[in-house]
Amino acid sequence: MAAKPRVAFFDFTGCEGCELNQLNFENQLLDMLEHVDIVEWREAMDDRPGEYDIAFVEGSLSTPDCIKRINDIRRRAKVLVAVGACAVQGGINGMKNTRPIEEVREEVYGKDKYLFPTLPALPLSAVVKVDVNVRGCPMTQLEFLKVFTALVMGKQPVEPNSAVCVECKLKENECVYEKGMICLGPVTRGGCDAHCPSFGQYCTGCRGLVPEPNLKAMEEILVKHGLSVNEAWKRLHLYNSHELEGLKS
Amino acid sequence: MDLKFLASDRVEAFVSHLMQQKTVYAPQHTGKHSVALEKVDDPAAVILDYGRTMQSVKKFFLPPRDELLSFDLTDHSFTPAAVEPLDAILLGIHSYDRAAIDRLDYNFSQGHPEKNYLTRREGVVWVGVSFEPDEFHFSGSVGISPHETAGFDAFLTRVREGYLVEVLTDAGRELVSGFELPPAERPKPAPGHFHQHIFLPQAKLNEVMAASYNNEIWAEMAEKCVGCGSCNIVCPTCYCFNVEENVDITVTGGTRERIWDGCMLREFTEVAGGEVFRGGLAERQRHRVMRKFKYLSDKTGHPWCVGCGRCTAYCTAGISIVSIVNRCVSDFEERHTTAM
Ligand code: SF4
Ligand code: SF4
Ligand code: SF4
Ligand code: SF4
Repeated sequence: MAAKPRVAFFDFTGCEGCELNQLNFENQLLDMLEHVDIVEWREAMDDRPGEYDIAFVEGSLSTPDCIKRINDIRRRAKVLVAVGACAVQGGINGMKNTRPIEEVREEVYGKDKYLFPTLPALPLSAVVKVDVNVRGCPMTQLEFLKVFTALVMGKQPVEPNSAVCVECKLKENECVYEKGMICLGPVTRGGCDAHCPSFGQYCTGCRGLVPEPNLKAMEEILVKHGLSVNEAWKRLHLYNSHELEGLKS
Repeated sequence: MDLKFLASDRVEAFVSHLMQQKTVYAPQHTGKHSVALEKVDDPAAVILDYGRTMQSVKKFFLPPRDELLSFDLTDHSFTPAAVEPLDAILLGIHSYDRAAIDRLDYNFSQGHPEKNYLTRREGVVWVGVSFEPDEFHFSGSVGISPHETAGFDAFLTRVREGYLVEVLTDAGRELVSGFELPPAERPKPAPGHFHQHIFLPQAKLNEVMAASYNNEIWAEMAEKCVGCGSCNIVCPTCYCFNVEENVDITVTGGTRERIWDGCMLREFTEVAGGEVFRGGLAERQRHRVMRKFKYLSDKTGHPWCVGCGRCTAYCTAGISIVSIVNRCVSDFEERHTTAM
């Protein structure tokens, strides 16, 4: 058998919930380890130059140092996988991009702000080429397993791109709109098996927007269900600031 | 016709009587606002007076996710999934959903007969129930009355004090035998009125739809539609699916599944190389409506829409298939009167 793929895990700006979710594969963890050699965990070490067959990267890029590190990881990795909403689309951190960066810096670091250089929160794809996305906040375990097995087999994983509503209706969940809530499922990428609506919760859009979303129509739906235009866009921004700011310009 | 009477207070006993014969699936609450066809464990949970279930009976013959086979990567063998006849009583089914199954029977027996669907279809005893048309039903416009009994073995028509029971086949007779039902004291009432109508019969619609390919309605709908695919996924006559393979984490084997798909979804028309051949929502909306009112009806003479109203009731954007079709009709008529 060919040598096991060399796998590394890295972490940028995020809550580390994704990583916890990776460690949470109680039943599958040992099987997964059978197929790969984990060569690095979290910190890229300069004294261990080397190549990775697969690099899993979570978190968004928010400092000049992040940019340096992600470029270094990209240089070494054959396949780079963005894991979780922060890495894939900038995540919640992206909300800071809607305000002037100096204002954000001052609010967080106060008078010490000059010690902490900061950038708008960026998804990995804004700086380097990303080969595969594992979406979700925290990342969707089921999708991680699918991506993991596909890569171990040397295949390109299939990225889901239909709306959350599809999986929600396949499960015959009661639509949360019927319960008087609003839901971003209609324009959010599925692949989570409609996790939140299956538990009676609305979709906050953590897996990012579907390709070519019809945002004007989504705004209309949200407004029809009682949100102001401003509130509607705030909801849409929660996980999608980076993409929406880009669409604006 | 031999018409019997089932009093409201004996419905539970009737359901129990059916449960002694076969597994029963019937409408039950799955949420405050939702009713779904589920296996009956408690006769008291059955609801015969309901608007619509989100998913139709189709789900029993063409499950949303259906394992087709499992494979073994170590010896490259595969085993087709075991498929059993449903062999059950489907109770409380509305006429339009029964009519949808006739259409799917056609779809799945044409050309290469589809074994999984046709196997599951066996052994079903159909017990229909009348419905009171709500703001979305329009099956009357496609020739399906709330009292239509075609395809049923027995049919229950709602009256104030209970149900009138029609026994329509030998299977139906067997079903009710041993359960005391007095003769009905009055004839079947007239069915309820529809609140939604398509203005033209299907025979004319084919011509209208053929002339509506370039109607502006498609672009107008594309502005409101988010392309979520709900209208396809809840439609009782949609039968498109995708096939996916899942490899176990041990990388020694896995399964091949088919999963419902729909023409409103972008991915549906994405082909190798990444090209999407019905890229716009206008083209996709047009395709969906043409599939219901033109393409399949040209071939079979029947509309492939049974007027259940689901696509409209479950569209968060409020897009109504009746309004779309009527707009095509009125534009057509306008063009023809001005031309005259
Ligand atoms: S609950 Fe949300 S995701 Fe589910 S069908 Fe309704 S809008 Fe779509
Ligand atoms: S339902 Fe929405 S918020 Fe919940 S996991 Fe799925 S994409 Fe994320
Ligand atoms: S359910 Fe409505 S919004 Fe969703 S794809 Fe169908 S028509 Fe468009
Ligand atoms: S097109 Fe709409 S109304 Fe017609 S059968 Fe399908 S879901 Fe029902």
